[in-house]
Amino acid sequence: MGIADARAMYPNLPVVDADPEADRRFLEAIADWCDRYTPLVALDSPDGLFLDITGCAHLFNGEATLARDLIARLTQQGLRARVAVADTVGGASAIARYGKPGIIPRGETRAAMLPLPIAALRVDAETVAALKTSGLTCVVDLAARPRAPFAARFGRGLLLRLDQALGDVDEPIMPRLPVPAAMAEQRFPEPIAREADVLGTVEHLGRQLVPVLERRGEGGRLFQLALFRADGKVHRLAIGTGAPLRDPARMRKLFEERLAVLDDACDPGFGYDMVRLGALVTERCDPTQTGLAGSDHAEELAHLTDRLGARFGLRRVTRLVSQDTHIPEYAVASVPAHAARHVAEAARIIEQDSLSSTRPIRLLNRPEPVDVTAQVPDGPPVQFSWRRMTYQVAQVEGPERIAMEWWRDDRGNKLTRDYFRVESKTGARVWLYREGLYGRESGNPRWYLHGLFA
Amino acid sequence: MGMTGLTLNHLRQTLAGIDPGNAPRLAGEERLIGMTAPIDKALGGGLACGALHELVPAAPLYLGAASGFGLALAAQAAGRRGQVLWVTTEYAAGEGGGPYGPGLDLFGLASAHFLMLRVSKPLDVLWAMEEGLRCRALACVIAELTGEGAVADLTATRRLTLAARDGIGAQNSGFGLLIRHRATAMPSAAATRWEIAPALSQPDAYGGIGRARFDLSLRKNRRGPSGRWIIEWDHHERAFQPAIFVGLAAPALDRSDRASRVRTG
Repeated sequence: MGIADARAMYPNLPVVDADPEADRRFLEAIADWCDRYTPLVALDSPDGLFLDITGCAHLFNGEATLARDLIARLTQQGLRARVAVADTVGGASAIARYGKPGIIPRGETRAAMLPLPIAALRVDAETVAALKTSGLTCVVDLAARPRAPFAARFGRGLLLRLDQALGDVDEPIMPRLPVPAAMAEQRFPEPIAREADVLGTVEHLGRQLVPVLERRGEGGRLFQLALFRADGKVHRLAIGTGAPLRDPARMRKLFEERLAVLDDACDPGFGYDMVRLGALVTERCDPTQTGLAGSDHAEELAHLTDRLGARFGLRRVTRLVSQDTHIPEYAVASVPAHAARHVAEAARIIEQDSLSSTRPIRLLNRPEPVDVTAQVPDGPPVQFSWRRMTYQVAQVEGPERIAMEWWRDDRGNKLTRDYFRVESKTGARVWLYREGLYGRESGNPRWYLHGLFA
Repeated sequence: MGMTGLTLNHLRQTLAGIDPGNAPRLAGEERLIGMTAPIDKALGGGLACGALHELVPAAPLYLGAASGFGLALAAQAAGRRGQVLWVTTEYAAGEGGGPYGPGLDLFGLASAHFLMLRVSKPLDVLWAMEEGLRCRALACVIAELTGEGAVADLTATRRLTLAARDGIGAQNSGFGLLIRHRATAMPSAAATRWEIAPALSQPDAYGGIGRARFDLSLRKNRRGPSGRWIIEWDHHERAFQPAIFVGLAAPALDRSDRASRVRTG
């Protein structure tokens, strides 16, 4: 019926534009929530969800209780759902939509499928219509006939769907979230809301996770905490670590830092009725012997790095790693500390003639323009002004000529730089450079201050 | 103490003899960082670990000198294996630049020893510094605050001092250095406050700029008198030396050395 016809019958009929994007987001939110039953949840767009409850049903006292619980909780949230449990993905989808929803006992999916219409097989409308003109309307019509003519007429797709629904071909579901290598969960009859309780639960779950990780000889590098709010919202917090971790107390500490910064973004509302801790990424972790002269504290440093990372973001805790370039600003990179773990400890010791260092200890993010007076255009500076202060030059070392890397044109700056180490009459030591070779690259070379020496 | 305990202790002492940098210390033994004799005397033996020290550049351009002095102290605290945490805000790094790896390598403490943290709020700097001071794996924590560093008031510095005292352990030293970008009259619980300016260096044998030389003013000292000294940092030896003024007249930097050569030749 068109809108015009409907409005003719009910003049006050409210009309809302379809918003498939919002529908999809809503379906994903429900999928998130369904995570409480099994980690394997897949979307059956646009209006269905697959839950692989293999091995999970007994946790809820069987499939029937699980289905009842699911329906009851969804109804509480104002949703209506048709739930079918069957041996196959295709079968469950068909029975939930076209058959009588409920539990199909093991091995009876085939029988339950046969009387259903062909549309239940998740095939396109064109195929359904074409089959209907041939007088084929039910699944049984297809299943009882020779396959070759169908394959010739409709291709492999139709028969594949049939086989999947009847269980002759295996159909895996694609879970929408990564499945943890190890996980532990805790349900609460009465929702918990206090941060201390959540953290206590984390430590408790961590203790359950450790034996699993130990058996595999692994430690976690990425942990995820899923907090299922009583009203259906799910918060997921992740923490990364620099080294494989198997210590529940440290897991708790890391999540404590994470929660401390999230603050309002992680509102417990009426409380959480389920908490799950999973190790998403694991790595081999061998026990190590501590030194005789006391422990070497490497582990403690790793924990500090993780804690700072959990609070401020892993990218903010960095190590300085030398790069293979002579351009000063690219000569060192800040690499996140958790990734720089394997960078060699031994630093190059650079020997030099002069008593002072040839590189500043602080480098400005952007070279700052300075006004420089020099006796000749390509000579050393005798006076410079920086941030409205003028300094007389007492000593100069230079120039150190640094040409740009012509083979990396994309960086844009191509002018040669002449660097000078300059000491002012007050003793301040700075790193100045003149951009552009006078007469060849630039008629009026500009000066910049790039770094501060000690 | 049983027989095993004695043996273990004996072994530890032997190890300490072989490798003093990694030696475990006995409880109650105070660790001091030595500078030069006159300064050590004023400080009561040296700069105390397990305490907070404030460094302030005397002028904005002297931030390099203040950082250099802090790095020199950190290099002494870290020894051969110690790790240093450097905390700064994004704003501070934008104002005065960030620590530069190749420069650190040449200044006495290799950049591999540094763990860098850049946060967005000054308050986070204090939080991270406190965590770092308590951590037994760090030899030194350097924190930077722009301006006067108003967040580091009396209460905050007292907290940091307590954390530094807690953090003192066998290998680390709970050694905290707070660099304020501008001088302040704010009260503070820090053990010392230094105002740092660079001093003209002694040119090296090739006419280049010599060792980094600092003009230190000890503005505040809980243990003794304040004072002013000029010292220089020898990054090869990793030691401070008193700056010796050779000769009575200033070196004739403005005069070309060619003339003298002509005369003698």
